[in-house]
Amino acid sequence: MIRRLLNTTVFRLSLIYALLFSLVAAGAMVSIYWITENHITRQTDARLQLEADILLNRYGVYNTEALLSDIRRHNQRADLTQGDRFYSYVLLKRREYDMLSEFEAEYTTADGRQLFATRALNQTINFSMTPNQEQPARILITLLPDNYQLLVATDMSEQRALLNEVFNSMLLAILVIFTLAGIGGYLMGDGVLRRIDSVRQTAGEIMDGDLSQRMRVTKRNDEFDRLSIVLNSMLRKIEQLMQAKREVTDNLAHDLRNPLNRLRNRLESNQFRDPDSTDFQQLNQDAIQDVDELIKTFNALLGIAQAESGVQRDDWQLLDLSQLIADLGELYEVVAEEKNIHFSHHAPSELTLFGNRQLLAQALTNLLDNAVKYTPAHGQIELMAAADGDGIQIQINDSGIGIPHDQYEQVFERFVRLDNARSSPGNGLGLSLVKAVIDMHEGQIKLADNQPGLRLSLHFLTPSGEH
Amino acid sequence: MNILLVEDDTATASFIRKGLTEHGYVVDHADNGEDGLYLALNNTYDMLIVDRMLPKLDGLSLVQQLRAEPIEIPVLILSALGEVDNRVEGLRAGGDDYLVKPYAFSELLARLQALLRRAHPAHEQTVLKLADLEMDLMKRQVKRAEKVINLQPREFTLLEYLLRNTGQVVTRTMLLEKVWDYHFDPQTNVIDVHISRLRGKIDRDFKTPLLHTVRGAGYMLHDPTTA
Repeated sequence: MIRRLLNTTVFRLSLIYALLFSLVAAGAMVSIYWITENHITRQTDARLQLEADILLNRYGVYNTEALLSDIRRHNQRADLTQGDRFYSYVLLKRREYDMLSEFEAEYTTADGRQLFATRALNQTINFSMTPNQEQPARILITLLPDNYQLLVATDMSEQRALLNEVFNSMLLAILVIFTLAGIGGYLMGDGVLRRIDSVRQTAGEIMDGDLSQRMRVTKRNDEFDRLSIVLNSMLRKIEQLMQAKREVTDNLAHDLRNPLNRLRNRLESNQFRDPDSTDFQQLNQDAIQDVDELIKTFNALLGIAQAESGVQRDDWQLLDLSQLIADLGELYEVVAEEKNIHFSHHAPSELTLFGNRQLLAQALTNLLDNAVKYTPAHGQIELMAAADGDGIQIQINDSGIGIPHDQYEQVFERFVRLDNARSSPGNGLGLSLVKAVIDMHEGQIKLADNQPGLRLSLHFLTPSGEH
Repeated sequence: MNILLVEDDTATASFIRKGLTEHGYVVDHADNGEDGLYLALNNTYDMLIVDRMLPKLDGLSLVQQLRAEPIEIPVLILSALGEVDNRVEGLRAGGDDYLVKPYAFSELLARLQALLRRAHPAHEQTVLKLADLEMDLMKRQVKRAEKVINLQPREFTLLEYLLRNTGQVVTRTMLLEKVWDYHFDPQTNVIDVHISRLRGKIDRDFKTPLLHTVRGAGYMLHDPTTA
């Protein structure tokens, strides 16, 4: 768990931030500590100097006897064991008390006095008159004539304690900051891990073959939810494609098996015929026709699959729909007239649509084919396109046999042939291709009764400003 | 006419070779792209038929290298890849026509003849003629036996294409592609109806029919009185 946590970006980032913040805080605190210590030292030194000056002023530098007795009196009065702030004075001959080796630092003041400081104020020195008691102290030494020296010392334990307290509270603060950052990082990292684990688990299930699984989406609508929503729509699309692919494969197997079998039978029965006989020739012709039908079915299925998978977007262009309608109208006018059907087509000029010209033309061709096929003589077919609010509407109306209401959905499925259409040629794939192409163009197909006949309208949205 | 066929499938190759030989063509065959390129660079052919997917050197690269030479013989690309962008790729690489498998041999032959005809234009013509049928491309006028025939613009294009391929079969797919610019299988009998309407205009009132149906293949414009 910890190892995995350490591997999350959030946790690592929060740790790094905690570390950086602690470093900055520590820097600030060190400088505060240093300034405080400096200040205390300077104050102490000034006080020591003052004490020494008072003594020397009172007795003069040569009256060492009087000075000594005063010092003795003072030292006897002061209760050194009390530990409170104290000043202690010593007058001694030089070298009598060799202090230099004991002290860390020695400096000379402007008027020739020497100052000794204990190391970083936390080492103690022993005075002869305070045996067995170690106390931090600071000492001022003033050199007197006749090799005498006057020592004035002061207790530093209070300052020491203050500095220790400052140091400890700073340490505590840094520790608290670091701990809080660690806990925060853990919580955030854990939360992220949990969300990611859920995604990973779902992905695993999907990889195991269950394409219906979806990422969990919470109500928080955070970045994970948005990611999950995008992933889910991707999964939905993949599932649709897989489904479509499976259907195509199933249908191919189903629909090609019969004609392949028929073809095989034909060729087999021809094996022992005289190649010059008319029967042989006829069967050969039929076999070729069978193969052509197979190829047509195959191509139609491939076309549907391609349109459904949404490939070929590279070929999309802003196409002149008015021109396309005019071309197709002209192409089918003749076919309709041949059957004595009245055909009219109309589209306002400068109607454009963004799409694949070949596929749209093929879809419209399929629809016009159906219209011609199922409209009896003296009937009517209309092909119209017009701008319609926020989009474009293409309408194909005929006065043919129409489609029963309850079969509007069914006709777009593959290989579906309605009962009243079984006698006419066709493979039941025409409308499937239409549906796939229109879906690919994000259009809608509506069927309605034309009384009599079929009223079929295609509606395409033309997003304003996009093209 | 010498034709180089680059096709790795032996059965297909021998079938095409046999068919073309029967129609009077001399066919060289290479079964991989490198050999095909070598033959094409070191011999003079009138036409190259190349499969798109070949061992050693694929068909598109072969055509590109030929065109870089530059060798400008007509190239017909055969392919099992039939999507519109595959077709565009093939033509962009330097192919002159693109035929998707599976195809009928008559389709292959018709396209090949159309390409050969285009490669040897009898200088830029402004008047196309067949027997007593005359098409003036400048005036956009068609006459038969000096009688003006009124054609719709699309009928004019259709007749022009047929006239440019006089004596050769053109298939329904070729017509839908070249005259209407639709690259899919013609549905039902659309093309037939247009042909029969054109036939009504240029043949009906005259003794000799010029526009003929070739069974199982397509249509052909020719003058039956001249052999």
